[in-house]
Amino acid sequence: MTPPPAMSVADTMRPPPEPPDSKINEDLLSVMYHRLSPGYLLLLGATILSVVAAGGTWVYQVYIGLGIGGYTHPVFWGAYLITFVFWVGIAHAGTLISAILYLFRAKWRNAINRGAEAMTVFAVLTAAQFLGIHVGRMWKSYFILPYPNQRGLWTNFKSPLEWDTFAISTYATIAIVFFFIGLIPDFAIARDRAKGIRKLAYTALSLGWQGTSLQWKSHTRSVLHLSGLATPLVLSVHSVISWDFAMSLVPGWHATIFAPYFVAGAIFSGFAMVLTFFIPLRRIYGLEEYITEYHFDNIARFILLTGWIVTYGYASEYFVAWYSAVEPEQTSFWLRAFGPYWLSTWVMLSCNCIAPQIFWFRWARTTPWILFTVATLVNIGMWFERYVIIITGLSREYEPAVWGVYTPTWAELTLFAGSFGFFAMLFLLSIKVLPIIAITEVKELAIHDKAHGGAH
Amino acid sequence: MPTIRGIYDFPGPVAEAATKLKNRGFSDLEIYSPCAFPELDSVLDEKPSGVRVWTLIGGLIGVVTGYSVAIWMALDWPIMVGGKPFASIPPYTIIGFELTILFGGIATLLGLLVVGGLPYGKFGEMDKAYSPRFSADEIGLVVSCSERDVAEVDALLRATAAKEVDLVEA
Repeated sequence: MTPPPAMSVADTMRPPPEPPDSKINEDLLSVMYHRLSPGYLLLLGATILSVVAAGGTWVYQVYIGLGIGGYTHPVFWGAYLITFVFWVGIAHAGTLISAILYLFRAKWRNAINRGAEAMTVFAVLTAAQFLGIHVGRMWKSYFILPYPNQRGLWTNFKSPLEWDTFAISTYATIAIVFFFIGLIPDFAIARDRAKGIRKLAYTALSLGWQGTSLQWKSHTRSVLHLSGLATPLVLSVHSVISWDFAMSLVPGWHATIFAPYFVAGAIFSGFAMVLTFFIPLRRIYGLEEYITEYHFDNIARFILLTGWIVTYGYASEYFVAWYSAVEPEQTSFWLRAFGPYWLSTWVMLSCNCIAPQIFWFRWARTTPWILFTVATLVNIGMWFERYVIIITGLSREYEPAVWGVYTPTWAELTLFAGSFGFFAMLFLLSIKVLPIIAITEVKELAIHDKAHGGAH
Repeated sequence: MPTIRGIYDFPGPVAEAATKLKNRGFSDLEIYSPCAFPELDSVLDEKPSGVRVWTLIGGLIGVVTGYSVAIWMALDWPIMVGGKPFASIPPYTIIGFELTILFGGIATLLGLLVVGGLPYGKFGEMDKAYSPRFSADEIGLVVSCSERDVAEVDALLRATAAKEVDLVEA
């Protein structure tokens, strides 16, 4: 039998109807195209102003010297280093959500992973600046890198500060790679619906992505491998940072519990920051359908869990100080609670140990204003934790004759405020140019649910 | 060569149709989907993705680089500390670990680009069979076949719940 010619079949085919767009695409891309409200512009203006103020202060510091900070013998690690550790800690939630929860197949992460990854990248970028600000002559920062030089001198790989350089630069690179790989298919979605300059930009950024089976297969495999690589990395980064302290002999720092205790604290503060940004974002852009109470409930459980690990860390430090019978160690911890920095210590304990206990109750875990309040308290508490560790440790070392009292100055506080401004500015700008919720991942769940009659 | 495109709502029927087409000897198939579906992962190519080789090689180069750079530099600029060896493996494990992750991660990105064929074409220039519908909710199964097979492919796509079938290229 002769098969029918091609066109005879084509003739029977109807022309395709106008392509229907996906509701998920429309909802999630609308965040980028939402009208710039006065509130948004005001907030963006405030963040830019704080960045400009911080930049001006930094230039002034370069001109005058680090003396404009509150450094006084024996405290030469101050608010800049505290702020550095704080932001690196914040950077942990993104990779935890993206990598570890991916490996555990915790599908609820899909709605929040992109925003958390963005926060990771922005937080690492913020933190990295504070290393440069802390060393004073930022332009000499490259001294820490092993580069060939006329003196034939190499860096000391036995130094925790050198480990830190490798850990932070690796973390920043992997966070950016992870973020970008996740964005490629979403850029393609934006490309197909954008016009003008946006279309050009998304076309370039999507790398011609079409969602072919080969592309998806490579993409899925890449995300899996990156998750496998990033999981030990996220646990190692704050461990390495904790060794900046723990490898020294300063009372209050020289503790083997530092690595797990720092990692738990980082995840604790990172999740708190995720809540701080996602609760207003959800409300303002009407994303209640995508970021649900279930997400908040899970994040709050993480905060409760890691809050207890942190509390255990504090208790363990005090117990070991007492049990060690080492007088400088005991004195250091006694002075933490009742010395000149007692207020910082009690703020830390109240915010990190007591405030999250409200999350034992489900209504608290699903009430946005309570979540926001506790998250803010945790952010405050975790900054003070680093203040307590660094400042009380250094100011009360072995010899009482050289004890000193450090107080941050206006310059340090301006730069600290600028760090929040810088982070928030990047976040505010990113929600207007990037899909801040991973569209393809949300869609994967939605189509799967639809195929199975909403069984999941 | 005629190119026929079937449009589906769910991945299951696409996998079924693609498997049937493969079994009938059609090899020029392509699937476009709005997101990753496990059902479609191995339909067209059962072999594991080549990205894994990239990650492995990147990681291995990283670990060797990390240790060797630290050891060589310690020997090239020897610092005598209490009669201990110049090169000390435990702290260098951190450098080795970090570079394993760094090189492995960058190699994974390169692997995605090379194995996944990205950047595809001249960036904005899409396949003729591609449609923005595939970055919405729908899945496309595209088959290139000889003219005599068009009717058979058309019937098979419709029989596997394709909601539309059209001829992209005659």
